[in-house]
Amino acid sequence: MENKREILSVKHLNKSYDAFKLKNVSLTLQAGSIMGFIGRNGAGKTTTLKSMVNLVHSDTGSVEFFGMDIKTHESEIKQRISFAFGGVDYYLQKKLGTITNVYKRFYDQWDEKAYEDYLKQFELNPNKNVKELSQGMRVKYGLALALSHHAEILILDEPTSGLDPVSRDEILNIFTDVVDSKQASILFSTHITSDLDKCADEITYIKNGEILVSEEKDTFVDSYRLVEGSMDQLTENLKSIIIGCHERRGEFSGLIKSKDCGNAQDIKCSPADLESIMVHIERRA
Amino acid sequence: MKNLLYKEFKLALHPTCYIFLLMAFMLLIPNYPYYVAFFYQTLGIFFIFVGGQANNDVYFTTLLPVPKRATVKARFGVIIIMELAQIAVSIPFAILRNILNPLENQAGMEANIALFGLVFIMYAIFNMVFLPMVYKTAFKIGLPYVFACSAMAIFVGVAELLIQLIPALKTTLDTLNLRYLPQQLAVLSFGILVFLLVTTLAYLKSVTRFEKIDL
Repeated sequence: MENKREILSVKHLNKSYDAFKLKNVSLTLQAGSIMGFIGRNGAGKTTTLKSMVNLVHSDTGSVEFFGMDIKTHESEIKQRISFAFGGVDYYLQKKLGTITNVYKRFYDQWDEKAYEDYLKQFELNPNKNVKELSQGMRVKYGLALALSHHAEILILDEPTSGLDPVSRDEILNIFTDVVDSKQASILFSTHITSDLDKCADEITYIKNGEILVSEEKDTFVDSYRLVEGSMDQLTENLKSIIIGCHERRGEFSGLIKSKDCGNAQDIKCSPADLESIMVHIERRA
Repeated sequence: MKNLLYKEFKLALHPTCYIFLLMAFMLLIPNYPYYVAFFYQTLGIFFIFVGGQANNDVYFTTLLPVPKRATVKARFGVIIIMELAQIAVSIPFAILRNILNPLENQAGMEANIALFGLVFIMYAIFNMVFLPMVYKTAFKIGLPYVFACSAMAIFVGVAELLIQLIPALKTTLDTLNLRYLPQQLAVLSFGILVFLLVTTLAYLKSVTRFEKIDL
């Protein structure tokens, strides 16, 4: 897989529901990268991901994988990608081996040896039922299936939700291993920002159905600063550029764009992290 | 399609579908409304969808590299196979019933060729009412089954009533007399034709509806 090749391109997706709208969503995923898709619950992450794989029909817009439109090349594309919404939660009473025996028949590139290796690596017993697996193991089983048919893009909706910190760390390490060994690129949604601190190369941030930003994580994080000071320092001019200003006991705190730092002289500025950026941006609403 | 059918039989098919095949033995009961023996398989088909809901079958299937319409086709395939199997398994029991007990069935149609024709129509009605309604939402299955059962019951009731009340039909269709074989074969052929046409229509309607819904 060559680097900096655009393998997924989402352009101007729109979808209207009675109580929610996905508005003009666009993003691109480069080969060899991990993109974190963040936003609070109900922001439109799952709807966007489902629209990408044709589970939800967008009203307008296009989705292309490897230069092919999902609406006209669905089967061909699905041979080369894998997606999961949460962990494996289908056919809970069936053994992993039984599900795999069905699943693998559909893939031209199925690699039995790779599958056996992943079972060993992830300590998965094919004779166990899905329901006997922990949440973390279910995510791993889904990854084993995806990687064994050499999926080039993994689209995962909240793969780490509900996992304990150790399992989350394991899954994130698998993500980085997979991408570093150039097996696949990953787009995963989460509202756990520390996941993205650990492994994301790029961030796409969605709020109320609209993409606020889609760019490299470091650039994104670097474009904000946390500010704090006493209330007498909070001028009208400063107030107008602070995002999510919080006032308490004669002190204020908030977020500003790095480029606005010049307007906040004598105010304590410190680097922001993803969580504080997200909290302040959402607080602004 | 072969792979999807394999998936249907390996994962989706409810075990009661096989058990209900044994209900064909009910044709040995001397006096009985024999449609009931065939009705059980529709319950088995209903259970495939109930099991599908419990097992997130639609979600699993959407992960696979197949078009949505192919998944509907495979499900129709397995349903048709089970309906035909129910009819096929019933044939020897019908023959055995008539050998062991040549007396008239006092509770409805004889276990004869015309009955099988009417069963084909009953299955066609089931397929037409139940499946497009299910594929409208892909998760509401209870109400469609109630509607489908009601439609089948009305058909069976009307068919029985007409055959019992109209002497020409009673004489030719509700009998084991081989003299009326041509008439009964005509009913069978008509039943098969209705089954094929209506089930095709049900498939097309189901696909159109399933393609439209967001999952």
